[in-house]
Amino acid sequence: MTRRKALKIIKNRKQLHAGTEAPERKLSGLTFLPVFLTTVCILFTVFMAGYILWFYTGSFQEETAGSIYDRYYIMITREGKSVFWQSVYQGAYERALQENVYVDWLGNERFWDYSVEEQMEIAIASGVDGIIVTASEEEGMTDLIDRADAAGIPVVTLYGDNTQSKRCSFVGVGSYNLGREYGRQALRIMRERLTGTRETQMMVEEGENLGETETGDRENVVLGTAGGKDMAAEWKEVEVGSPDRPVRVTLLVNSYANSMDQNILYSGIQDTIEQERGDTAVALSLLSVDDTNAFSVEESIRDIFMGGDIPDILICLNELNTTCAYQAVVDYNKVGEVSILGHYVSDTIINAIDRNVIYATVDIDTAQMGGFCIDALQEYHDLGYTSQYFTADISLISKDNVDEYLRREEPENDG
Amino acid sequence: MMGKVRNFSLQFKISSIYIVTNLLVVMVNIFLIIGINSMSGRLDMVYQDNRHLNDFSDIINALQDDMTDYLNVKTSDSLENYYRSEQLCRNMAADLNEEVTGRSFDRMERNIRHMTERYLEEVAKTIESKRGRNVEKYRLHYENATRMYGYIDTYLSNLNMEQFRSNSERYSELQQRFRLFEAVSVIAIILVMISNVCIIISFVGALIRPLKKLSSQADEVAKGNFEIDLLPVESQDEVGVVTGAFNSMVVSIGRYIERIRESMEAERALKERELLMEGHLKDARLKYLQAQINPHFLFNTLNAGAQLAMMESADRTYDYIQKVAQFYRYNMKKSEETVTVAEEVEMVDSYIYILNVRFAGDIHYEKHIDESLLYTEMPGMILQPIVENCVNHGIREMGDRGVILLSLYEKEGRVCISVKDNGVGMSEEIIDKVMSGTYREEDMASGGNGVGMDNVISRMRLFTGNENVMTVQSRGKDMGTEVCLYLERYGQAPGSSGEASCGASEWEER
Repeated sequence: MTRRKALKIIKNRKQLHAGTEAPERKLSGLTFLPVFLTTVCILFTVFMAGYILWFYTGSFQEETAGSIYDRYYIMITREGKSVFWQSVYQGAYERALQENVYVDWLGNERFWDYSVEEQMEIAIASGVDGIIVTASEEEGMTDLIDRADAAGIPVVTLYGDNTQSKRCSFVGVGSYNLGREYGRQALRIMRERLTGTRETQMMVEEGENLGETETGDRENVVLGTAGGKDMAAEWKEVEVGSPDRPVRVTLLVNSYANSMDQNILYSGIQDTIEQERGDTAVALSLLSVDDTNAFSVEESIRDIFMGGDIPDILICLNELNTTCAYQAVVDYNKVGEVSILGHYVSDTIINAIDRNVIYATVDIDTAQMGGFCIDALQEYHDLGYTSQYFTADISLISKDNVDEYLRREEPENDG
Repeated sequence: MMGKVRNFSLQFKISSIYIVTNLLVVMVNIFLIIGINSMSGRLDMVYQDNRHLNDFSDIINALQDDMTDYLNVKTSDSLENYYRSEQLCRNMAADLNEEVTGRSFDRMERNIRHMTERYLEEVAKTIESKRGRNVEKYRLHYENATRMYGYIDTYLSNLNMEQFRSNSERYSELQQRFRLFEAVSVIAIILVMISNVCIIISFVGALIRPLKKLSSQADEVAKGNFEIDLLPVESQDEVGVVTGAFNSMVVSIGRYIERIRESMEAERALKERELLMEGHLKDARLKYLQAQINPHFLFNTLNAGAQLAMMESADRTYDYIQKVAQFYRYNMKKSEETVTVAEEVEMVDSYIYILNVRFAGDIHYEKHIDESLLYTEMPGMILQPIVENCVNHGIREMGDRGVILLSLYEKEGRVCISVKDNGVGMSEEIIDKVMSGTYREEDMASGGNGVGMDNVISRMRLFTGNENVMTVQSRGKDMGTEVCLYLERYGQAPGSSGEASCGASEWEER
């Protein structure tokens, strides 16, 4: 046996006697792998558990979404789907959310078939905290508002007032001022027709200053022919503006709407025209549009064009009337002959202004209007009284500033 | 922790692996089952709201019918029915939501609840008025109640429809989720299966690895290689125990081998000592023998004998005693010295003379000497033992026919001394034994002076520094034997070798 072998055996013996414990082992790859795998598997299982838990709680959260509001108001309008009222509701809704109040719009889809009075009944029976209603001066409405008041529900009339009732506040536009503006625009149309030139004018937006619209420098721009007709020449030919053929200005009023407001507006128009018409003869008339049935408005307006005396200037007091009048003018090929003064802003109306079919429209700050309703109700709840009248700002949109308006709208639409 | 785990038994470890993997599978399955259960439960609950609303609608209908019925017929049965429906309706209305939330369903429920309360009031007033037979009043209340009923009905159907729509959306969403969940489940099961396989393979591999090492080491040991590293005992399980035992075994076997080696070495040392002892004994015996003989006394005795023989004129006796004395003196003096061939030849002469006196001239002794070689040096006490062997083993039994021929000649540059007899001869076997020094005379002390052939060969080899110093030749049985000694020659004239060989051949012919 060699010395090396002997040494090896002695070394082995020493190692054996030193104890049975293994020499310090490092965590080699092979030892580490099982532990690593186990950890991964356990982590995976935990992940699975988490996923299922997420599944659980995710659905749960979905079911309990929404916070609880302090108060609940209901808004009732005569028309359901117009952009104007949607915009008013949106304004009210956003203002209400700030106050932790929820406002529902009954006229929105579900209760389309019910009349305003019936919706009022529903609202009263529902025991809401406040009602915003487009009222009329009718007695039935007065009764309902009084009943609501008796049940402890404050009522705010919106756009249409019922002065006899115990409503706590009215939110609308200043009808007389609005009337003056319409009158002024009607006069402007007349002047342009008679002279064949176009005026540019700046509209002062604020409601109080509405009557003091400045007439800008007159531009001697020759008006383009509208609908293939030279209106100035035609007017001269038949001597429009003479006592035999006065300029026909027709105000479309809703048969169902607040007659008081409409009367104030009418007198506003009348006063303005009387003061500023000069020698021009003007025949101002009221035309009642039947809005009692669902589709009667459109029929009523078309009837105007079927008859003999087609107005030269048609003043509409709501969005629906404006849209219907515009469509009728186009359909009956009266573009240029009939100038429309519209009400409120929708895409259709703006486009119509851009195409010279509608002369001008009055834009009401609907968001402000909706907000005022909520403010009035909140104030009434908190203080027991509130301001009797709230007037929303209005502004005029005509060919002069429609481009600017279109520019402003586009990014919003894109967004 | 790892150390503790290592110390568990193999059975425990293997069982643990299976338990852990199965637990993983079971856990994943439990999660999947919980998920599936909750989801199917939710699917069942999707249209629950609609069912509730329908129930409520039915109750309100029944109440309206009961009221109408009572107004019509005013029976106690119808009144009883009315009370029952009224109570049911009130209870169900109380379950409806009261809060104003962002969800339209909740607000509608709230409105329905309030309206139902008003409706119940109206109905109660109607019934009361009817019982009080106030016709005008109950008519009015009845109309109010019926209108209210219409509103509630509209509200309910609206709510029902909206809920149905939303529930349908939710149902399809849940179904989609269900499908997603199915896919996730399948992936989960597959992944768990794969990971389980990996766990089992890696863990079992880790368990088997020490066994593999052990088997390869055992294989090495089986091949006879003890030079292996001891396996580390990684655990205290069965494999660890076996590994430990294997380690002990390897070390023990190594130790035994070492012990055997040690004992073998000891035995060899012992044998060497024994041999040394034997040599010493021989030396001692020789010295003892030498010590027994007092040379002075012997020579004085022999001289006295010689003088006596001379005084008595016994010349032959005188000669004999003189030769004997000469022989012993030479024996005493020259055994350790270097001598000349002449002295050795003279010694042989004396020896033969003494033998012839003893055995009455039986031995024929002839010499063929190259005189020029007589002063060649050689070790002492060489020729006499060879001649003695010739006499004792070759020609003792032949009586007076025995011839010994001593030749001195030169052969191939070396001095050759040949002692030849015509005795019994030697077998090849014995010659080999003699030459290798393994031949032992049965009784060394019986005759001669105790100097054996092996001693002669050894001394010749030592003296010449040459292995090839002696040849023994015999042509067979009774054909005689020739022993030739070879010495280095120192400046002798050539030519005498031919004479010597000639002489030898002459003698052979005779």
